[in-house]
Amino acid sequence: MTDVAMAAARRRTREPTRVAPLLIVSSLLAYCIAAAATGQAAQISVDGFIGVLQRSVALGIVALGQTMAILVGSIDLSVATLVSVAAVMASWWMQGDPRMMLPASALVLVLATAVGIANGLLVTKLRVNALIATLGMGLILQGILSASFNNFAGSVPVDFQVIAYGTMGKLPFSVLFMFVLTGILWLILSRTRFGAHIYATGGNLDGARLAGIKTERIIVAAHVLSSLGAAITGLYLASRLRSGAPWVGRDGVYDLESIAVVVIGGTVLAGGKGGVWGTIAGVILFGSLDAIFTMIGVDAFLKQVLRGVIVVAAVAAYAFRSKGQVA
Amino acid sequence: MNANPPPRLAMQNIRKAFPGVLALDDVSFDCAAGEVHALCGENGAGKSTLMKILGGVYQPEAGEIRVDGVPIRFHHPLEARRLGISIIHQELSLLPDRTVAENIFLGMEPGRWGVLDRTAMAAGAERRLRRLGAAIAADGLARELSIAEQQIVEIAKALIFNTRILVMDEPTAALDDTETERLFLLVRQLRDDGVAVVFVSHRMPQVFAIADTITVLKDGRHVATRKRDQTSVDEVVRMMVGRELRDYYPVHRIGERAHPILSIRGGGNDIIDGIDLDLHAGEIVGVVGLEGSGKGGLCRAMFGATPFVRGTMTVNGRECRPTSPRQAIQAGIGFVSDDRKAEGLALHQPVIENALLALRGLSRLLAPAGSAAQRGERRMDELLRDVDVRAASYEQQIRLLSGGNQQKTVLARWLALSPPVLICAEPTRGIDVAAKAAIYQLLRRYTDSGKAALVVTSDLPEAIGVADRLVVMHGGRLVGSFPAGASEEDVMAVATGHRRHLHVATFPAGAVST
Repeated sequence: MTDVAMAAARRRTREPTRVAPLLIVSSLLAYCIAAAATGQAAQISVDGFIGVLQRSVALGIVALGQTMAILVGSIDLSVATLVSVAAVMASWWMQGDPRMMLPASALVLVLATAVGIANGLLVTKLRVNALIATLGMGLILQGILSASFNNFAGSVPVDFQVIAYGTMGKLPFSVLFMFVLTGILWLILSRTRFGAHIYATGGNLDGARLAGIKTERIIVAAHVLSSLGAAITGLYLASRLRSGAPWVGRDGVYDLESIAVVVIGGTVLAGGKGGVWGTIAGVILFGSLDAIFTMIGVDAFLKQVLRGVIVVAAVAAYAFRSKGQVA
Repeated sequence: MNANPPPRLAMQNIRKAFPGVLALDDVSFDCAAGEVHALCGENGAGKSTLMKILGGVYQPEAGEIRVDGVPIRFHHPLEARRLGISIIHQELSLLPDRTVAENIFLGMEPGRWGVLDRTAMAAGAERRLRRLGAAIAADGLARELSIAEQQIVEIAKALIFNTRILVMDEPTAALDDTETERLFLLVRQLRDDGVAVVFVSHRMPQVFAIADTITVLKDGRHVATRKRDQTSVDEVVRMMVGRELRDYYPVHRIGERAHPILSIRGGGNDIIDGIDLDLHAGEIVGVVGLEGSGKGGLCRAMFGATPFVRGTMTVNGRECRPTSPRQAIQAGIGFVSDDRKAEGLALHQPVIENALLALRGLSRLLAPAGSAAQRGERRMDELLRDVDVRAASYEQQIRLLSGGNQQKTVLARWLALSPPVLICAEPTRGIDVAAKAAIYQLLRRYTDSGKAALVVTSDLPEAIGVADRLVVMHGGRLVGSFPAGASEEDVMAVATGHRRHLHVATFPAGAVST
């Protein structure tokens, strides 16, 4: 038994922190190679890297929220629609008026919280499968939104565009925000009781309940975080596009792509294992890929093919590794 | 009467019904502080339901629970835990990808304002594990632990500081004798500290070793409560079963061995090595060994799940070294897994579908009417009745059946294929006494028809009782062989590696004799 215990101590692994740097380094390396190979060495610079990151912010923040939903063993397919809702409502409520910036943003976040709570209650109280509950929620929201707006609605004031275009030195606020948010979520997951209960709920729902954890609250909270991530991305897109349109979320395919990057980052789709740094690594991988394909000048459909291959290969690699561990 | 303090735990006239079953009918149960009270009964008697009501998992329809005389009503397990009621549930509920310390403190994490105090967690976990005498690293992942170690972590999890009532639901199922003894030492210590301990089990030797008082439930009703020294194993078993258990173990087959059906020579892989084993027609061979001895690995190798990479294996004289379960089945080997829920059953499927699984797996898709497979399907009803699977209907979902009936269904699945060799891993784990006896008889009947059975079990008395011949594993090797009726001490001495068996030299020789 002692041997086993020692072996256990030796083999102790922290999946996300080991996978994340590897993913980030290799995707940036691929980016550099592609830049050098296509004679665009100028892209290998701080500006080039920051550009990649900035183009990843929208997906990144949605995916951070999605990570929380997936960690508790749920999933959120309503995020893409919620991005649109947040973008449209923010610009419509603001109507270019700087005084409305804070109230409109706050209102959007409240709305997202309500959607998150609704998702969570559908999953926990009515026991609707999360895939169906959030798909339905997304359809409902999209329907209402498309019926009410058919084009860019309202506009955001110039001051609000600081969110997307403001920088601190060379670093855009948005990129900074994404990393700060990742850090906060990481602290919550690794250092707080709430974080421990997220892993417990996703890892073994009944076991967590028997241990006295209020699993329903944890699941609802995770859905609220997921919805808030989508809403923040909506605000960011409104700021970047100067207005919101009812198709911005759908065009970004934020629902499926956020799930893809979460999974690439090593979070198990069944829940209970993974973390936010892996997700950020997955986002950076997708961002680098976009940049590489733009540099090479390959058409967008081929890019989709490669993304698909990467998602499947990543999951297969994780499955293979964990099988190897057991044997 | 008022002079006596109220018992620590008093459950009165508890009633609980599930759709179709009255799980508890007017059951009362008391446990005093400083008492170990065993709760006995067959599976389905209502023991676990009663304890789940105590733990706040279920709410009773009628009845009252008092703790130290104060009536309580729980709506969530959390409330029970806060009152100092700790329950070690029968199902292991560890989070495989979290550390041992995180698992031990699950739901009770120390810290301020929601921020974890990891130092306190690590220290507290180490302290509890040391108290249990376990050499388990608190910062290791739970997935790296053996089943026995996981059980110890579950126990450590239950030992919160304000424990007033400790419920242990079959806590020794996966423990070996040393670990069980260590656990009992701790239980006595807790009892002497004034904890009320409820010990749920149907393992009689352990019940009589630890309990002060014994209560028997049967079919959701309270049968009797007795002081330990005023009753006997026989009486308790009789009350549990409701009748005398004669012929509990089947008669042994003695005398001439028939030809070997299965032979392994020098079999080995990552887990096991140097396996020489013969199974003869008509023989039940028991395999015993401690956790990690490789007895599970032997099953998996023979069944092709984690195949042999060395040595030879022949079935009915034909060489075959299966590299997948399908090949093993085709070669004539059946396997009853020790993890019934995960590997044995499709829980939401009807009984009949579960029984047909192996038969269907081997028949061609869209097999023509009248084919062997279809005839098998028609015969299956008959076979299920024959092995005495009790269900409202064979179209009922199998998860609604008791463990014993589930296990009989799994056996019927293989009997339908009638493989020359049937491997059974822990065939009676978690099933009641009467079902155990039925399964032993089924195995005997099966081998009497010229087949061989290999029974791998961690229940030593069972192995000795059921097997015509015992082989002992240690460190991935077969280290000894015993005839029927060997003593537990002798077998244990070999299984723990304290002594190499005297007959070890004759073991392969015995195997060769035809």
